[in-house]
Amino acid sequence: MWLVMQKELKELLRDRKTLFFMIALPLLLFPAIFGVAMYFGGQAVEKARSEVLTFAILNAERAPQLSQSLAEQELLNRVEIEAGTDISEWVKQGGADFVIEVPVNYGNNPLESGQIELKVYFNDAGLNMVERRIREVTDSIAENNQAQVFELLGVDADKRSGVLNPIVIEKINVADQREDLGEKAGGFVPYIVFILCLQGAMLPATDLGAGEKERGTLETLLISPIERHNIVMGKFFAIAISGVVSALITVVSMAVWGTILSHGMAAKVVVDFMAAISLFDFLLMFLMLVPVVAIFASALLSLSIYARSFKEAQGYMTPLVFVVIIPVVLAMLPGVDLEGGWAWVPLTNVALAIKELIKGTMDYFALLPIFGSTAIIAGGLIYFSIFWFNREKVLFR
Amino acid sequence: MIEVNQLAKKFVIENPKKLSEQERQDPRLKGRFFHSVKSVSFQCNNGQVLGLLGPNGAGKTTTLRMLSTALQPDAGSVVINGVDVIDKPLAARQKLGFLSGSTGLYGRLTGRENIAYFGRLHGMAEEAIEARIKELADLLDLHEYLDRRSENFSTGMKQKTNIARAVVHNPEVVILDEPTTGLDIMAAQTVLNFIRGLKKQGVPVIFSTHHLEEVSELCDRVTVIDQGETRFSDTIEAFKGLSDTSLSDSFLTTIAREA
Repeated sequence: MWLVMQKELKELLRDRKTLFFMIALPLLLFPAIFGVAMYFGGQAVEKARSEVLTFAILNAERAPQLSQSLAEQELLNRVEIEAGTDISEWVKQGGADFVIEVPVNYGNNPLESGQIELKVYFNDAGLNMVERRIREVTDSIAENNQAQVFELLGVDADKRSGVLNPIVIEKINVADQREDLGEKAGGFVPYIVFILCLQGAMLPATDLGAGEKERGTLETLLISPIERHNIVMGKFFAIAISGVVSALITVVSMAVWGTILSHGMAAKVVVDFMAAISLFDFLLMFLMLVPVVAIFASALLSLSIYARSFKEAQGYMTPLVFVVIIPVVLAMLPGVDLEGGWAWVPLTNVALAIKELIKGTMDYFALLPIFGSTAIIAGGLIYFSIFWFNREKVLFR
Repeated sequence: MIEVNQLAKKFVIENPKKLSEQERQDPRLKGRFFHSVKSVSFQCNNGQVLGLLGPNGAGKTTTLRMLSTALQPDAGSVVINGVDVIDKPLAARQKLGFLSGSTGLYGRLTGRENIAYFGRLHGMAEEAIEARIKELADLLDLHEYLDRRSENFSTGMKQKTNIARAVVHNPEVVILDEPTTGLDIMAAQTVLNFIRGLKKQGVPVIFSTHHLEEVSELCDRVTVIDQGETRFSDTIEAFKGLSDTSLSDSFLTTIAREA
């Protein structure tokens, strides 16, 4: 068994494609995701902020102050719109970035005019900050109007906020920052980790099963003086080690890059959050991934050995990604917690446990059903792989 | 010595609709079963070379796969120097050196690593493996590419390395399925010389081939299989005596067909 495993690992370590999926991808994925998102997000916001927008005002004579204020804005450029134009179509065609339609009741005294509804026509499909730019102008006008009315009504300055917002809700979040961030981001982590573990094991599994058939080396191995179950276990361990290495690199990469990037962004919340997750928590996350990887490795090996070729194996394995995603998505649903029956659902329970570890609210007694159910499934699948590997119909299709 | 008695093997046809017209007409097809090997018997003594002949689809490869323990026979027996292949497959594998027709190598391993891996699987010590690799490299002319990755080997290099891999453990019986197919003259001659060497050492060799001149040159015995049954199994002299004209005619006589 160990001979088979050693030889398989030696071959895998000489395969650049396998090394890329096993080591490079988990190492680079997290900084790549964060980096690309931050870069393009930043670029888009910057562009939206600094872009000069064109606008037109219908019935501008009703709102001279508003027209004046908009005209004074450096990054706004007024254009004229002909009477009777279909405004929506005109904006759609690029006549202006937005058009403001001033209503009949526009005025500076809310006691007379009531609530003013400014209609703004603009294309809201992209990031353009039109509403924000208009608000910068209208908010100060509205505040002035309010102040005037309060003067007229004789409302003191200290009572004005009470009139405007009679009831205010002050949120006192009893969850610490770690729990709060963990709840929001913790469901996403097992999703990435599971997929990377599966990806890390997929290529070796294809190579060690269908690859052997395609190269014509399987028959030679089958007639070697070792029991079939030793061949299966040797291959299983080689695939599982690839998956575990992938998982280990993923968790380490997540920890290291999370810390580096949050320091780089000077995001104190994230730095504190990363610092709060102990080494023991990371170790537990890794340990829980071991039986998960065993499930992946045995399932992948069974599929691979059934396939006649590399291509056929990849066809069988692709749907497995969806089979893995479903229990992880279940763990993200509100109301699904690591309690009762959910603690026994394989993969979902590990995903929930990783989330709890990140949040810092892990009930360590739940480890028993988690390891128990996952190990039972993994054992069953390994047993099936051995049974499968003894079937002539599977080996000589 | 290897004794093969009334071997039989059938396969379930998963999808009979996919069979070609010719396959449907094959008398070995019975319901959902295809009787690939119905009854094959022969014997090869120590120091003999037995040529296994038969047209394509006759059941040669299935027979050899049963001898090698890769497939389990439905009936019959195979005994290698007193060890029953069906009862004790692991012990039989220690005694066997087998090269199948479609054997490949582990491309990311060197020739030496490929051979050594199978030596280790046979429980050989590292020193014994090294010594045997050197011996085989001399016999099969492997030295030049022994330490290169086998993914870039030519067909000849691959086949010679494969033969070395198959016999690294000094097997008591050697079975070779079409060992010279696709080889150039030089490489084929090296392989044939190697078989002669095994014969001199007293190792029984069974090899299947379509090259009748190789049979004439090397074999002591000939077994002809057709439609899963043994049609002829005797000495090379008896085989040559079936026709006055050529070995091809002798072969066609055994399977009762015309050229």
